Amino acid sequence: MFTPALNISKLTLRGTILGGMGLFLLIVGVFSLSKGAFSIPLSQSLAILLDQVGIKTGDFTQQQANVLLQIRLPRILLATLVGGGLGVAGAALQGMFRNPLVEPGLIGVSSGSALFAVIYLVLVPSMSSLLWLQQIGLPLFAFVGGFIHVMAVYFLGQSSGKSNTTNLILAGVAINALAGALIGLTLFYSDDAAMRSFTFWSLGDLGGATWQKIPLAGILIALPTILLFTESKNLNAISLGEQEAYHMGVNVPSLRIKLLLLTALMVGVAVSLTGMIGFVGLVVPHLIRISFGADHRLLLPASFLLGAILLNIADLMARTIAIPAELPIGVITALLGAPFFIYLISTFNQSKN
Amino acid sequence: MLCAKNIHFCIKQRPIVDQASLSLEAGEVLAILGPNGAGKSTLFKILSGELGCNRGSVGYNGCPVQKLKSKQLAEIRSVMPQHSQVNFPFTAQEVVELGLVACKSSKPKQLVQEVMEATNTLSLKNQVFNQLSGGERQRVQLARVLVQIWEQKPFPRYLLLDEPTSALDIAQQHAVLKILQDLKHRNIGVLIILHDLNLASLYADKVALLKNGMIAGFGQTNDILEERLLSKVFDHPVSILTHPITGSKLISTDRYLTRSTQNFKHA
Repeated sequence: MFTPALNISKLTLRGTILGGMGLFLLIVGVFSLSKGAFSIPLSQSLAILLDQVGIKTGDFTQQQANVLLQIRLPRILLATLVGGGLGVAGAALQGMFRNPLVEPGLIGVSSGSALFAVIYLVLVPSMSSLLWLQQIGLPLFAFVGGFIHVMAVYFLGQSSGKSNTTNLILAGVAINALAGALIGLTLFYSDDAAMRSFTFWSLGDLGGATWQKIPLAGILIALPTILLFTESKNLNAISLGEQEAYHMGVNVPSLRIKLLLLTALMVGVAVSLTGMIGFVGLVVPHLIRISFGADHRLLLPASFLLGAILLNIADLMARTIAIPAELPIGVITALLGAPFFIYLISTFNQSKN
Repeated sequence: MLCAKNIHFCIKQRPIVDQASLSLEAGEVLAILGPNGAGKSTLFKILSGELGCNRGSVGYNGCPVQKLKSKQLAEIRSVMPQHSQVNFPFTAQEVVELGLVACKSSKPKQLVQEVMEATNTLSLKNQVFNQLSGGERQRVQLARVLVQIWEQKPFPRYLLLDEPTSALDIAQQHAVLKILQDLKHRNIGVLIILHDLNLASLYADKVALLKNGMIAGFGQTNDILEERLLSKVFDHPVSILTHPITGSKLISTDRYLTRSTQNFKHA
C-alpha cells in the first residue's frame, strides 16, 4: 500500500491524488472528443472548445463543430456522470455491506432498475402524452425498482443481524434471476420495439446521449454523490461493523436507509439513461483501495473520478474498435471487469483461509 | 452510575437473562464471570444499549438508556465487542481514529497519540490492520474504544469490554488490565467479561457471577470469589489457595473428576 511520506499531511496528499485524477480525466475527455468514426484533429477540437468561450485560435468546419458539440460532448459528459456515479455507488455499497465483492449489478440494483424501466416503457407510451413526464418518469421508475431490490437483497443477505457474503451473493443471484424473468415476461407481452430496446438495457449504451439528458443526470447523480461524500466518516465507522458503528455513536438505521436511497437513486438514473453497465462499481473502488487505502474520505471522490475515467476510456474503445459500428459499452466493461472479478473471488477466498 | 434493575430478556419464551440487577460506579472495575451460555454476552448487549430488554431498566448516570441517542450514549460509554472484523485495508491508526467519529474533540490527534502510546500500538500505526497478529488487533481495537472516552469530561463515563484479553499472552493480559485499572483516575467505570478467575481476582473491585441468566452472586471481589460459590456456578471443583510470595488469592481448578463433581453436588 501507498504510505505517505511523513512531511506531507494527509489532507495535501488527498488533494494531490484527487487533483491528479481530475487532470487525467480532463485529458481523457479532450482526447475522446477528437476520436471516433469522424476524426477531428486534437488541435481543432481544442479550437472548437475555446471558440465556445470566445477565444479564437484556429479554423474548423461547422460539421466538425456539430459533431463535437452536439454528439460527442454530451456523450462524454454523460459517460463522466454515469461512470462516476456507478463508481461512488459501488464504493458506498461495498462500505455499507462491509463486503468488497458487492456491486450494483451483483446485488440487483441495476436489474431492479432495468425491470422497472422496461415496465415503464411498455406501459407508459400508451398512457402519457406529456413529455416532461416521460423524462422524469423513467428515472423515477428505475429508482423505485433499484431501491426495492437493494432493500430485498440487504434483508435477505443478513443472517441473525450479520451480513454474510454467501447469503448476500445468493440473494443477489435470486433477485437478479427474478428480475430477468420478469423483464422477459414483460417483453413477451410487448412489441418489437420494446424487444430491441431490451438489448439496450442489458448491455448498456451511451449512444443516446443528448443535451436534454444532461441536466437531469447532472442533478440526480451529482447531488446524491455530494450527499454521499458527507457520509464518508460514518461509512468508515460502519465498515468496522454495524454494532461497532452504533457503539461509536452512529445512528445506524438512518445511515443505512440514507445510503440505500442515495445509491439506488444514482444507479436508477444511470440505468434509465444508459442501460446496465456492469463492473464499474466493482472494479473502481478496489483499484482505489489497493492504491490509496480504505478511508472513505478519499475513496468516494477518487472512485467518482476513476469511474468517470474508466467509462470514458471504455466508451472510446466502444466507438473506435469497430468503426463505423459501435460495440455496446457493457460488453467492454464486462470483458475487462469479469476477469478482474474472478481474480478478486480467488484472492478473497485465499485471504479467508 | 451504570445501573441495571431486574433485567429480563427471553427468546421464544426461554429466559436468557432473568431478573438480573447490578450496578457500576465510576472508578470501579466490575468483572462479570460465568460459565459458557450463562447469558453474559446478552447481558452485555443489554447494558450497552444495543439490545432492548423485555422487562427491567438500564440507566446511565440516572438516564434510561433507551432515551439516549446513539451519539449521546457514545459520549458516556464505549464498548469493545468480542470480535470485530475489518474487511477493508484500514491502517491501525485509521481504526483508532474511528473511535472519535461521533465525538467532537478539540485535539483529536493528541488523543489518538496518547491512547496508542498507552496501548503500546504506536509502532503499528501505519500497518494495515488485517495484517496484524491477533493480539495486536485486540490492542488496536482497545485503543479505538479508549480514544472515545479518553478526553477528561465533567461526568462519569463507562467502558464495557467483552473478553478483551482472549487473544493476548499473559504479559499483554496484565498490561491491558493495568490500563483498565488506571482508568479509575479518569472517572471511568469499567465492566469487563472475563474467563480467567485469577485476572478477576487480581484486578476487579467487584464481581458479578452469572449462571443460567441469573445473578448468582454480586459484591466485593473478596466476598464473591470463594470456593463453594465458584464450584457451584461453574459446576466444577474450585479451590482457593494463598500465593506463597505475594499473599494474594490463587484460584485453582482441579482436573475433571466425575466423583468429586458428584461429591460437591451432594454436599
